[in-house]
Amino acid sequence: MTIGDHLHVFHRLPVHPFPGPDERRDLPEPDGYAWRVSVDVYETEEEWTAAFARFLETVDTTRVRALVVGAWGEAYDSDSGPVIESLLAARDRLPALRAVFLGDMVMEESEISWIQQTDVTPLLTGFPDLAELGVRGGSDLLFPALRHTGLRRLTIEAGGLPAEVVRGVGASDLPALEHLDLWLGTPDYGGDSQVADLEPVLSGDRLPRLRHLALRNSEIQDAVAAAVASAPVVARLETLDLSMGVLTDEGAAALLGGQPLTHLKKLDLHHHYISEPLQDRIRQTLEPAGVEVDLDRGDADDDHGADRRYVAVGE
Amino acid sequence: MFPRHDDPGAHRTGTARFAVVGNPENRRVALFDRAVRAAGLPAPRVVPWAHVLRTGGAGFAGDELVRLDSPGENAEVDRLLRGAEDPTRVEGSGRWYASLMSALRGLRGGIRLDDTDELAVLFDKRRCHAVLAGADVPVPDSPTSGADAAPVRGWADVRALMREHRMPRLFVKPAHGSSASGVLAIESAGGGRIRATTSVELVPEGRLFNSLRVRRYHDERQIAAIVDTLAPDGLHLERWLPKGSQRGRAADLRVVVVAGRATHAVVRTSASPLTNLHLGGRRGDLDVARAAVESAGARWTDVLGVCERAAACFPRTLCVGVDLLPAVGWRRVAVGEVNAFGDLLPRLTGLPGSGAEGLDTYAAQVAAALARHTPPHHPHDQHHPHHPHENETGTAHALA
Repeated sequence: MTIGDHLHVFHRLPVHPFPGPDERRDLPEPDGYAWRVSVDVYETEEEWTAAFARFLETVDTTRVRALVVGAWGEAYDSDSGPVIESLLAARDRLPALRAVFLGDMVMEESEISWIQQTDVTPLLTGFPDLAELGVRGGSDLLFPALRHTGLRRLTIEAGGLPAEVVRGVGASDLPALEHLDLWLGTPDYGGDSQVADLEPVLSGDRLPRLRHLALRNSEIQDAVAAAVASAPVVARLETLDLSMGVLTDEGAAALLGGQPLTHLKKLDLHHHYISEPLQDRIRQTLEPAGVEVDLDRGDADDDHGADRRYVAVGE
Repeated sequence: MFPRHDDPGAHRTGTARFAVVGNPENRRVALFDRAVRAAGLPAPRVVPWAHVLRTGGAGFAGDELVRLDSPGENAEVDRLLRGAEDPTRVEGSGRWYASLMSALRGLRGGIRLDDTDELAVLFDKRRCHAVLAGADVPVPDSPTSGADAAPVRGWADVRALMREHRMPRLFVKPAHGSSASGVLAIESAGGGRIRATTSVELVPEGRLFNSLRVRRYHDERQIAAIVDTLAPDGLHLERWLPKGSQRGRAADLRVVVVAGRATHAVVRTSASPLTNLHLGGRRGDLDVARAAVESAGARWTDVLGVCERAAACFPRTLCVGVDLLPAVGWRRVAVGEVNAFGDLLPRLTGLPGSGAEGLDTYAAQVAAALARHTPPHHPHDQHHPHHPHENETGTAHALA
């Protein structure tokens, strides 16, 4: 699987593409949509920064609540640095901005693991009221530990998330964070984190309000599941998401043998390599307690043996 | 535009007869045979490609309407065209092209529904690209077509062109290939990072096989070995236009144009950059595609118009299949390829308003061929079949 669709909804707002320079279209209410600012990778009519300058001139940005940054050019060869600088420079003109997604590109524009990111934390320090940050792409991504009291949702999608990033997120003070979603990926694409790197997240010490935890798309999903099975943070969760990874009977057995999960509203394990008997046991254990369990196998095809098991989104 | 066999106009076609050059066992021939007989005509005379190739040609009666169909999917014909013992081998498309062109020149008489000179262009992606670009049909940039076309003798030349034309993502295609055979989707970035997505399987001795599985190569030496092996057959390079998606899969359209008019269309979607159905592509939803075009502020009729303009570059060819690439966002389109034998879309009926409603691609061609080439019987009945795009698509001269 690869990333095939742009975001349709972000920050609970429908995404509206900001028109290109040669388009004449009526613009909707600024606060009713998440605005997607993107440039054409194929026929670059303008730099991303120029498109964003046009956005600032055209739209009443004092009412803009959410921004989706799409392709900023050939993102496999140029990083998100200038994008972040532009956003920070426009801080005063974006007083209502609460949500940013950085890198909404599909495979046809750039493979996820080829998207060149950079240190994204200036967006958080520069926008203290930001409630939601999403990032796609782990190449050269940096996330040094910080404290941010407004952030409620953090998502980092990657084919391989550097251990440094995992550690930086874990060491951050995020007292308002309710939703954390990390795609750990594979070592092939720079995902070199180990379970020990997740310990600060799993202890939950700095995440008092966490309700939704996704540690997914991992090649070591079994080990992640085993660690989650005894993790203190789980007791406060409504949703646990261990989907998209190489989760086998080993990880499933660890979950079944660990702390009770019956308090969850949802357990998402889609794209997995769990055998039928263990799937049944998971359902029998959790569904009577009212837990919604997603065991959709998706394109996780287990006919080719253990060496042909993949995460859902790699390169 | 397309008289049905139950139309009064069809009676004047009572004497028409068809011949088809094809592989007799192939379902394409069976589908055409069925369409001809459904029009109330005698079954078409089938002239096997194997016969044409072995004897150096074939003759047709002056009033025979002669259709050419694909020589593909027949091991013996493939051997005669390519000289390849194994039909799954990728190499030999250069010889395939030369053999086919030579065979076409040996076809004598009849009323051809295509044209040898146009086929010579259609089966050379470099020339086809140049003709389309010259007619202002939107196409992805290509450094290998047109007057200042660059020769591509191997991977080193491809690398040089990628640099000179700032083309980090591109498709490399055998100039005379079909069905994605030998096609590589190549992406590169700084630091020497490179990947090729292709159905080509490189075996240890260096030979190339078509596989039904899409493979990824990350080792530039392997990619170079594949391209170096394909290069003597001729290569066409084009910039990778990021395609729009449908339900999370990359999408393109196959639009069949019959007698100048876009009559049939399907969406193909894929999780890989190659959308061919035998490589994991699936049929998408045409209504959703149309809605995507319109919500992007473009017009669906313009999208079909691009296909008709592409087909109009080949006015003496009754039917072509246009591969249309919607750009990300669905506001712009470009023509990827124009296929002479791009009409195999069994059971698909015509687009609303196309004049081919209720007809499959074969029935639409039979009707169009009869309308073009069968003279009316009665002077008072004399009128040209007419549609609004007649002059634009350049078909008028063929109606007389």
